[in-house]
Amino acid sequence: MRHLFVALFGLLLGAAAAGVLLYYNPVTDTSAAVPGRADRLLRYSLPDQVLEFSLGEVAELLGQSAGDDPLWEDTINRTAVLGLVLNDDVDQPAAIASRLMAASADTDLLLHGVVVSDYWLVTIPGEGSLFVRAESNVWPFLKRTLVPVWYFDRPWQGPAEYRPTVGPGPDNTARVLGLSGVFGDQDGSAVERYNVTALDPVNRSAAVVGELYLHLPGLQVAAQD
Amino acid sequence: MKIVLLLAILAGFGGTLAGAHFLPVTHARLPSLTSVVANGGRAEKFLIRLPADRLSVTDGQAGGIRSVGARGVMALPAQFASESLRVEHFKVRDAEGSVIGVAARHWGTTTEGLTTTWSILIPSRGALLLSAAGEARGAVDRALQSAGHRAGSEWSGELAVTLTPTDGSSRVTSGGGEFDDLAGSYTETWTLTGVIDSGELRGTIELNTVTNRL
Repeated sequence: MRHLFVALFGLLLGAAAAGVLLYYNPVTDTSAAVPGRADRLLRYSLPDQVLEFSLGEVAELLGQSAGDDPLWEDTINRTAVLGLVLNDDVDQPAAIASRLMAASADTDLLLHGVVVSDYWLVTIPGEGSLFVRAESNVWPFLKRTLVPVWYFDRPWQGPAEYRPTVGPGPDNTARVLGLSGVFGDQDGSAVERYNVTALDPVNRSAAVVGELYLHLPGLQVAAQD
Repeated sequence: MKIVLLLAILAGFGGTLAGAHFLPVTHARLPSLTSVVANGGRAEKFLIRLPADRLSVTDGQAGGIRSVGARGVMALPAQFASESLRVEHFKVRDAEGSVIGVAARHWGTTTEGLTTTWSILIPSRGALLLSAAGEARGAVDRALQSAGHRAGSEWSGELAVTLTPTDGSSRVTSGGGEFDDLAGSYTETWTLTGVIDSGELRGTIELNTVTNRL
């Protein structure tokens, strides 16, 4: 019996040590580089510019309500749909984005972090539509901001910046595919950056300002022609 | 005793790390209902049942009957209210009617005229992109009127409205996952069976895709 207790204690001790290692593991802190000058910069602000947010029943992170009509089916209960208004660089509405998100099979708490597949369909009226395929590592946000403040009641340290894009393009960039109009058949890359500007666990509210940096080399060439 | 403790610590440590590394994130998957078409390629049909599968639709002048009485109406900024712009979000079903994914449909004016683009996410499989010349503004509204529907009144019947061009210029491209290296064409048909007194549409949207490996 004594051996059993010792073994159980040892298992718990080992698991706790591994948990600490995972929490402070720098390998999973991957994020995109500071984005350079964009060919197109689109900005958003949450929650002000949210048109719609539907959430899978098992995808809740912030204790949000999944709403009256959640994504409850087994096949989509780890997904989210976010409709957004995107502003241009002078903060005027310039585009509408639909973000379809799902937990990624690349999630690996030892090597990659918590990865979300984030598919943006962006339409800029009068210009065209483009698709952004991003893999976003939300682990740095979870461990530095959400978990300590939201779940462990630690004081919030103030605004924090995150650059979650980690693929699937080279150098931690998202892939951009033009679909119609001026973007038709244009390929490029993108990086998302956001700042958590407010976080209130008591009122279950958060505020975020974000930017999507689009790099479309073909668009520059077309403009020069 | 020390050996037991050390082994247990190692087992707990290693087991936790192994779990963090190997624990899979998976989405429930239903069999892909594809068929081979006569001239080569694979055909797959996606269905959207209205009103059950509509998550949201933008308002504005372009919303038309598709936003009247619908749940989850998204208020466009004033700058876009009169634009030819409509964004719709849906759940997507396979040919047998089981929900398998979510989709966004964007319709609006571009430098090429009106265009429609779809982004379909099937979490267990990947993403598929559809694009085509867009239908004329108010196409569904006008088709319903010609079938006898009057604004503000109920209507029932069966009306099929195809919203893709008939010249085969619609395109299917991959958005990632197992759809990589697939390309083809699609048709989009709205089969409407009713308009209830709140103005909400009833019917089925059929997306019929035919794709080939590149």
